[in-house]
Amino acid sequence: MIGTLLVRGAFAAILVSGISYYLVFRSGNGRYLQIARYAYHCAVAMVMGFCTLLLYFILTHQFQYTYVWNYSSTDLPTPLLISTFYAGQEGSFSLWTLYTSIIGIILMQYTSRKNYEVEVMFVWSLILSFLLLMLLVKNPFAFIWDTFPKDLLHSGSIPAEVSNALWIDPVRRIWAQIPVEGRGLNPLLQNYWMVIHPQILFTGFSSMAVPYTFAVAGLLRRDYQGWVTVAKPWTVFGAAVLGTGIILGGYWAYETLGWGGYWGWDPVENSSLIPWLVSIASIHTMMAQRRSGTFVRTNFLLSILCFVMVLYSTFLTRSGVLGETSVHSFVDPGNWAYWLLLAVIFVFGVFGFGLLLRRMRQMPRVPVEHSIFSREFALYLGAFTICFAAIFITIGTSSPIITGILKGRAAAVDTAFYVKTTLPLGIALSLLAGIGQLLWWKSSSRKALLASLFYPLISAVVFTAGLLIAGIRDIPYVLFSFAASFALFVNLSVGYRIFRGNPRYAGGAIAHIGLALLFLGFVASSRYDEKQTVSLEEGKPVDVLGGYKLTYLGNRPLDAERYGFSVEVDHGNEIYTVMPIIRYSSFTNSMMRHPDILNMVTRDFYVSPVSVETPDQRKEQTLNFKKGETRDVNGMQVTFVDFDFSDTEKGRMVTGGEFTIGVILEVRNEGKKERLKPLMKNSGGSISYIPAAIAGSAIQFTIAKLQPNREDPSQSSVEIGVTAPGSKSNKPQAETLIVEASIKPFINLVWMGTITLVVGFILTIVRRVEEARQRD
Amino acid sequence: MKVKILIGSVVAAAALIFCAITFVKTNVEYTDFQTAIASHKTVQVKGEWLRDRESAFEASSGKFIFAMRDDHGKEMKVCYDGARPNNFEIANAIVVKGRYQEGVFQASDILTKCPSKYEGDAAAVKKTL
Repeated sequence: MIGTLLVRGAFAAILVSGISYYLVFRSGNGRYLQIARYAYHCAVAMVMGFCTLLLYFILTHQFQYTYVWNYSSTDLPTPLLISTFYAGQEGSFSLWTLYTSIIGIILMQYTSRKNYEVEVMFVWSLILSFLLLMLLVKNPFAFIWDTFPKDLLHSGSIPAEVSNALWIDPVRRIWAQIPVEGRGLNPLLQNYWMVIHPQILFTGFSSMAVPYTFAVAGLLRRDYQGWVTVAKPWTVFGAAVLGTGIILGGYWAYETLGWGGYWGWDPVENSSLIPWLVSIASIHTMMAQRRSGTFVRTNFLLSILCFVMVLYSTFLTRSGVLGETSVHSFVDPGNWAYWLLLAVIFVFGVFGFGLLLRRMRQMPRVPVEHSIFSREFALYLGAFTICFAAIFITIGTSSPIITGILKGRAAAVDTAFYVKTTLPLGIALSLLAGIGQLLWWKSSSRKALLASLFYPLISAVVFTAGLLIAGIRDIPYVLFSFAASFALFVNLSVGYRIFRGNPRYAGGAIAHIGLALLFLGFVASSRYDEKQTVSLEEGKPVDVLGGYKLTYLGNRPLDAERYGFSVEVDHGNEIYTVMPIIRYSSFTNSMMRHPDILNMVTRDFYVSPVSVETPDQRKEQTLNFKKGETRDVNGMQVTFVDFDFSDTEKGRMVTGGEFTIGVILEVRNEGKKERLKPLMKNSGGSISYIPAAIAGSAIQFTIAKLQPNREDPSQSSVEIGVTAPGSKSNKPQAETLIVEASIKPFINLVWMGTITLVVGFILTIVRRVEEARQRD
Repeated sequence: MKVKILIGSVVAAAALIFCAITFVKTNVEYTDFQTAIASHKTVQVKGEWLRDRESAFEASSGKFIFAMRDDHGKEMKVCYDGARPNNFEIANAIVVKGRYQEGVFQASDILTKCPSKYEGDAAAVKKTL
């Protein structure tokens, strides 16, 4: 009750704040400013209040709330219990709202210093009000008896044996039964990454709204230049945080999910990549505008687009629009999300782009002063290329919608689409990331450019020649490696020079070094990865992937559900042991596999468990027999002769007593003939099955289903379950572990590149914040 | 400046055409087994795993073989190039991507749609009372 009230209160307060800010903007009168600020802080306090409350309900297992019941359980360790806060739609929207509201406080202080508060906070309140509206519709504090009224609500007096009852309406004597346990967290999410990864991602998502508010504010007050300086550190911050979130997600997939990759081009992954790419593009053109005053319209466009893409991505993954074509998009959350999210995109899109169109004509034309051989132009081309990557990925991810409209049937694109379309862009980007760093602002002399190109180009040629000698023949990948290595060498030399001068200015070069390493890592680890599935009989070494000898040493239980499988990896003179894990989850009644990774300098050796075959493993199959039909079961001829259902038994069935029905089977095996009679026993509605086994063997027959046909008894059929020990021929004597082993060459480049990229970002943020501060 | 815009538009148009061609080429149609048999093209088929039929991982070839029934009731043997996917047992629907070849659907990818775990259902709430 309090939770719902707090959500409503926060919504009301944020509306007051937004309207007051608008009034200040309209009238230029500061009278309402205090009210706006006060209302905003009230809203934040209430958001914090209901988030704390939700967390408290989760930690104290208050299963009378549907959300708590749906995602948590009493057996979860505390960190995971906390993470169930954002395991579902309602909770993750709450988290997004929380971070947005907190960032708003920092933003308010920042913009009031920059004299930008009114417009920025007006737009910010608008964004926050839409997030809260979402929570009003999809309330995290819904009571479980409202969700399941038919199953939980009862009237009359509470029976003595019911201990988990709660009076809902004592006057009308209505009470509800409250669950004593929750459904728990999906085991795939029960992982320490779940604690940290969504938090980072949502911080990134929340901060992606900041450039939008600055752009709109700039348009509102017709300040076409100044907003860029103020907005820049926020854009870099958002890009850094979201980028970190994306790559952590990749590492999560690689390290624990066991499918062997870090990026699957899934809509959920793409949906954070697209806004990230747009923000990266806008960082580059913002930099040019700050320097030369150009690209005014481009910067407005990109900053607005970035947030619109955040909203569109949310729509794609949260509305159920991708339906069956995606693995991890949420199952249809109902119409509310669909229309509300669509409305949100529409409102913010029209607001931003419409305002831009209206102001476009009034914008003073900035004369183009830079030549083609200028840093400005390289930056523009770079942003252009990055935007195309974003467009291509958006088109690919939206494929089910596009094909749904054009052909009436939704179809997704193959991941090959993304690889094929982004590869040429990657090559272009790498070349630009190299050349751009060598160009001067405004214009550079061709002679100087050629001179500075010389050594990096030679190094890249030598590097690529080395790859060709090593046997790489795939032309697009050779070109990509060449371009990426060129970017690497240019930025290494440029970065070294800057670093010796002033290390704080080296952020850009360091980030580009990271990018080049990342690209080289992509080529090596995804294109040249080798895979092999092998059966490892306990104690018997097997050679795999040329030069690795694997020996399965045995397994041991790690806890109630997880088993570790020790495998010795003999690589020349070094011997390691890895322990991939299989988890048999009783919660989802499924098996989960966690790989183990042998991290070496030049490669990862990745061992993912597939299955275990135990010698006494019984094979079970179900067969359908028509009356009189003979079928082959593991080399035996089995005939369904008839039912055994005597008149005495029929009489018992009619009177409701205990009765037995048998199925007569004739089994011919190695010349011997035998009659078997598995039984079904019904005593007062409770049914039990009694199997029959072949004499002197472990093969058993059990009734699975009886399908008598009264009109035409010859059409009767039965389903019989046959349990047999594993196939008789080449039966494994010892336990056999089946694993998928793969080599990921130079995957360390991917992680190294990422860390370098993030370091570059941090240096840039520090520098931009200092610059913005100097302007005060 | 005019020339720059012209070159820019040509490059952009070329890029979009390239994207459109790749899009059409890599688009995997959502269909049923009947169409898959007729067309022999790479398609996606949604359906349900027939649990009561034999399913096994063939260690020698690294393939997981199982039976599946599509939404139109057509049953098919599916041969997947890999291990049984993580969420396979709990999926209420699966989507296989691949092509029909010699009586078997050769799947290169399996998507598992997790059941209404995310939207509570009445049976589950009764279990936790």
